[in-house]
Order: sequence, then C-alpha cells, then structure tokens
Amino acid sequence: MRLFAVGLSHRTAPVELRECVDFSRDGVDAALSALVERNAGREAVVLSTCNRAEIYAAGDTDATVEALERFFGDYHGVPHAQMSEHLYTRRGADAARHLFRVAAGLDSLVVGEPQILGQVKSAYSAAAEHKTTGALTNRLFHAAFAVGKRVRSETGLGEGAVSVSYAAIALAKKILGDLKGLGVLILGAGEMAKLTGVHLQAQQVTQITIASRTLQTAQNLAGHLGGRAVPWTALDEALAASDIVVTATGATEPVLTRRRVEDIMRARRRRPLFVIDIALPRDVEAEVGNLDQVFLYNIDDLQTIVHENMARRAGELAHAEAIVEEEVARFASWMQSREIIPTVVALRQRFESIRQSELARLESKMSNLPPEARARLDEITHLIVEKLLLTPTEQLKAVSDQAMVAAYADALNRLFSLAANESPDAADAGGPETKTGGRS
Amino acid sequence: MHLVPLLLYAAATAAYVAHFAWRDPRVGRLATAALGAGVLAHTFLIGMQTVEAGHAPLVGTSAAISAFVWLLGLSYLYVELSSDERAMGAFVAVLLVALDVIPALDPTVTPRPPLLRSPLFTVHVVSMLFAYASFALAFVLGITYVLLFNEIKAKHLGFFYARLPSLHVLDVMNGRAITVGWIFLTAGVTIGGIWATQIHSSPDPRAQAMSVADPKILVALLSWGIYSFAFFARRAIGWSGRRAAWLSAIGFVIVLLNFVPVGFFLTKSHNF
Repeated sequence: MRLFAVGLSHRTAPVELRECVDFSRDGVDAALSALVERNAGREAVVLSTCNRAEIYAAGDTDATVEALERFFGDYHGVPHAQMSEHLYTRRGADAARHLFRVAAGLDSLVVGEPQILGQVKSAYSAAAEHKTTGALTNRLFHAAFAVGKRVRSETGLGEGAVSVSYAAIALAKKILGDLKGLGVLILGAGEMAKLTGVHLQAQQVTQITIASRTLQTAQNLAGHLGGRAVPWTALDEALAASDIVVTATGATEPVLTRRRVEDIMRARRRRPLFVIDIALPRDVEAEVGNLDQVFLYNIDDLQTIVHENMARRAGELAHAEAIVEEEVARFASWMQSREIIPTVVALRQRFESIRQSELARLESKMSNLPPEARARLDEITHLIVEKLLLTPTEQLKAVSDQAMVAAYADALNRLFSLAANESPDAADAGGPETKTGGRS
Repeated sequence: MHLVPLLLYAAATAAYVAHFAWRDPRVGRLATAALGAGVLAHTFLIGMQTVEAGHAPLVGTSAAISAFVWLLGLSYLYVELSSDERAMGAFVAVLLVALDVIPALDPTVTPRPPLLRSPLFTVHVVSMLFAYASFALAFVLGITYVLLFNEIKAKHLGFFYARLPSLHVLDVMNGRAITVGWIFLTAGVTIGGIWATQIHSSPDPRAQAMSVADPKILVALLSWGIYSFAFFARRAIGWSGRRAAWLSAIGFVIVLLNFVPVGFFLTKSHNF
C-alpha cells in the first residue's frame, strides 16, 4: 500500500478557487463519507484550512491519485480540467515530507505560524473518528505532530511577530502583561485607528476609548468597536485612565508633547504607558519616549521589528528543514520495511499452494489411508513448509534499505514467479515507476 | 557529604544557563530536577548537622550562609513551580553556587555558646535569613527587569525580550518579594533588638557589643531603611518598575556586604 497526497494551497491556487474548494464548509465528515462511498483510497484524511485543501490517502495503485483528483472537482462542482491544473500530487516519502512541512508551518503563507499544527491535529482526529485512518495514516500523522512539536521547540521559526499589528500587541504584552482588563485609548477615528482598534478588541481589553477632534466621528468608531467616545477636551483624563494609547490623527502638530505626558504620568502615578504612534506626520514628540515608564513606538520602529523577526525566521528555516528531512528519512525507512510484506505474503502463499496441489495430486493414492495418517501427513508437510520459510521470512522483514527491498522483491518474484499471484508493490520514494505490476 | 549540594547546585546552574540560552524545555526540566536534588541533599546535610550538634546549625557566618542558600533554593523552587517561569533560575542558581562555596569550604558546625541558647536567637536568625532569601529573589527580578526594560526602551528586541516574562510580571513579583522580605526583616530586627536587651547583662563581650554602633547592626538597620522605603514608596508614590528594580538591587548588595564581609571581619557583636 502506498501513500498519496493530493491537494491545492495558496501556492498553487488563486483565492477564488480556494474559497470554492473548502471541505470544511459542509463539514469534513461529509467529505470523508463521500470519499468512502467512492472507494477512493483505503485510508483517507482530509485537511482543509483557509489556505489549503488536501487529502492524504493510502491506496494500492496510482489509480487512487486519479480518483482523488476527480473527487476534488466532483465534490465541489468544479470541472476537472479547471481543477487539475491547480492540484499537486505527492507520493510515498514525498507525501510525508509535504505533510511534515505543512505541520511545521514551513508551507504556510506566514512561515512558522502556529495554528496549522492544531488544524492538522483536528483533521486527523476527524478522520480517526470517521474510521478512515489506518496503519499508514496513523503513523504518518503522529510523525507529523512530532515534527511540528520539534520545530516549535527546537527552532525559533515561530518566534517574533511578522506583522505590524501583531508586533504592537506582542510588545504591549511584554510591557503590560496580560492585556485583559486594560484600558486602550485611540486618538483619531480614521481607517488606521479603526484597524488597530479591531486588533486590540480581539485581545479582550476592558475598555476602548476613542477621542477625535470631531465627537461625531469618534462616536461612529466607538459604535463600531463597542467602545466609548470622549470629547477632545477630556483627553487628559482619558490618557490618565489608559494603559495603551494609539495615536492616528491627521494633526500636523504633535498632540502628545513631553510636557503633557509628564503631567499625565504624575496623574497616573507612573503606571507604565505604552504609546503607539501610527500617524504621519507624528502625533507624539520623540522626547516622550525618554520619560520613565513611557514606552513609545512609532510605525517605523514596529516595521523595523517586523523586518528583524522575518530575517530571524529565515535564518531558522534551514534548521527546521533539517528536522523535517530527519523525520522523513525515519518515516520512509518504516514505510520501506512495510513494503516487503506483500512479497513475504506472496512467497508464503506460493509455498502453501505448491503443498496443497501436491497433496491433491496424491489424493488418489492416499484414499485408503486411515484419517489419522492423513492428518499426520498434512501436519508434516505443513511443518516442512514452515521450517523452510522461517529464516527467509525473518531475513526479509529485517531489510529496511530501499534498494535492498527492491532487489529482494525482484529476485523472489523471478525465482518463484510470484508476480503471477500477487504483485508486490515495492513502491519507491517518488521516483519513476519501473516495477512490473504498477497496476494489478 | 558537604560537597554534594554544591555539586548539584553547580549542575543546576549549568543546566539553567543552557536552558536560558537555547530554551530547550528538556534541559529546563533537568535544571529544575538538579536544583530539587541539590535542595534535598542540602536538607539532609542540615538535618545531619542538627542531629550531630543537638541544635539547628545557625551559629557562625558560614552556617548562616548555608542556611540562607538552602532557604533561597527552596523559595526559588516554590516561585518557579507556582509561576511556571524558569527564566530566573539562571540568575538564582549562580547566586546559590557562589554563596554555597563558603559553607562547602568550611563545613564545621560551630558549637552553640550559652549566650545563644534562647529561642529568640533561632527566630531572629531564621527571620533574617528568610528576609534575605526574599530580597535575593527581588534582586534577581530587579536585574532582569532592568535588562528587559533597556531592550524595550532601546527598541532593540533581542535576547532578553525572547526569554523573560513581561515587565508587568517581573514588577509584580518584585513587589511581592519585597513585601515578604520586609515583613520578615522587620520581625527579625525587632526580635533581635528584644533579645539583645535581654542578654545585655551577660559578661560575654559580644553581648556588650550589641549596639547600633556595631557595623553589622548598623548596616542591617540601613537595609531595613532602604526596604522600608521601597515598600512604602511603591504604595504611596508609585515607585514601581525601574525605580523599584534599582532599589531592590542596591538593597541586596548592602545585604550581601553585611552578610559576608561585615559578618566575617568587622562585627564585634555577631562573630559567633
């Protein structure tokens, strides 16, 4: 049995198509049931996130790939020709490598993002509940979880925010601790102010206050964010009551001068204040950042942090890829040790069938023997066959090297004409199909 | 036997520093295990010394340092296990090793002179040591606060930013450590004062030297002044954050000076 992965992702398909090909829309369970109905693959796991839709399946032949590719189009009502140009297919160890890279966040749009591992886990548990997993996919997904965990703990791939808003929130957490229960003040009511407000709202801050020169626009934004609007004249009180201040006004002169913030810090008894200035020109005098317990970051500072983080993540890529390769090698050698099993089974069947046919041939001569003697004969011949096969079976099962597996399978096929009975699927790690019996 | 805790503390230090540098959770667990084993071995050692001498080994600077190291290790383990935060371990473990060298080199248990047979003596010493252990934790929290603070202020988020908990957490823990330490210091100084007046009639020259003019007592009162200021300034005038961090750093340097050089060489009242 071989491993296959068929799917599309942000790398191969435009967003319009990805929106169409969303297995989670009707529930992954429905997709799994449909797969079982179509008999596409013996084991199957469906992974569906906003950036990818993939099916990992185990099947006997390449016909499984064909069936999976057709399933993608048919299930979502997209013509096969249109779908197939965006689909990629991975076989054997390549399929494992693909899943490991996905689980590690290496294939994500934002490299190293942590959510994907959880999504891989839930895709697997959905399939496990639906009983569409088997020996191959069980092993594959548990190995993928291990890769994800290792990459997270052994590399800095997921570290450091890589967008300005996340960088700002990460900084706020590093300064103020848990943001739950803190007060946020937004100065200005434009698009930037709105965007930042939405991000901060997601952090469950207690109170978002909006101050703008025109109270009406502040009230509009406050309504949108579920916050509170204050008139511009009440700015100082609002500043004193807040822990995070985001400035995004269109003012040409600084709104927060050093003197003003100094007075406010006294009023707030020097509780730390995190000021994020995303306005251009600046809303906050640079000297404000020199005040004790005031942490001032402007948009350029945040962008610099993002660039640094991206560079650091890029530096960790090689390390993460090395972990993936290590685990792929381990998994591939496990798969290869399984690949000899059909040959072993065929060999045993061959011996057994010879024994049976010889016994049948002698049937006429043995008809006058008592039943005990016939039973004894059956037992003895069976024991001879078992004894003959004992060492070869053990030796074959111990082979884990890919080339050796292929060589042994080939030799046994020739020596005992096994291919006639059962085609051992000595699948390779994605190389061209050269084996006889690629289709049986 | 007296070297076993030191060796385990040294192993814990190596593991904590490695964990801090490379952040491998397995190394972190190893560090905690080594420190736990060190504290356990130290407990046995102190227990054995107690049985041998017939009293707690608190007499003399070397024994007091040993007890202090033990209390600090225990307090730190409590903080680590309750906060699930291991970053401080690298700093605390270094301190443990540096101080434990003294009792490891001089492990003899000084017999207790008749002067110290009061239960007040034991309560006084244990309170002081507990206060010092809290201040040691506050010191480490303060140092790490300043390191992280400087990185964030300089807008260069690097080594410490990735490793330390938030400034808020460091500040809150510092405040707690100062509070606990200040309560024990106040109790220890008060009990020491009561006990000193009780033994004033003793012919022992050390009892006669128990006065505010003695360096050990003077410096202890100075550190009490500093920690009292830190304790009240946080509540009354918002001296938290970096100011509190510096106060706890200065305070502990004075405590250490009083504990080791003053305790060994200068005092005439506390040289047991």
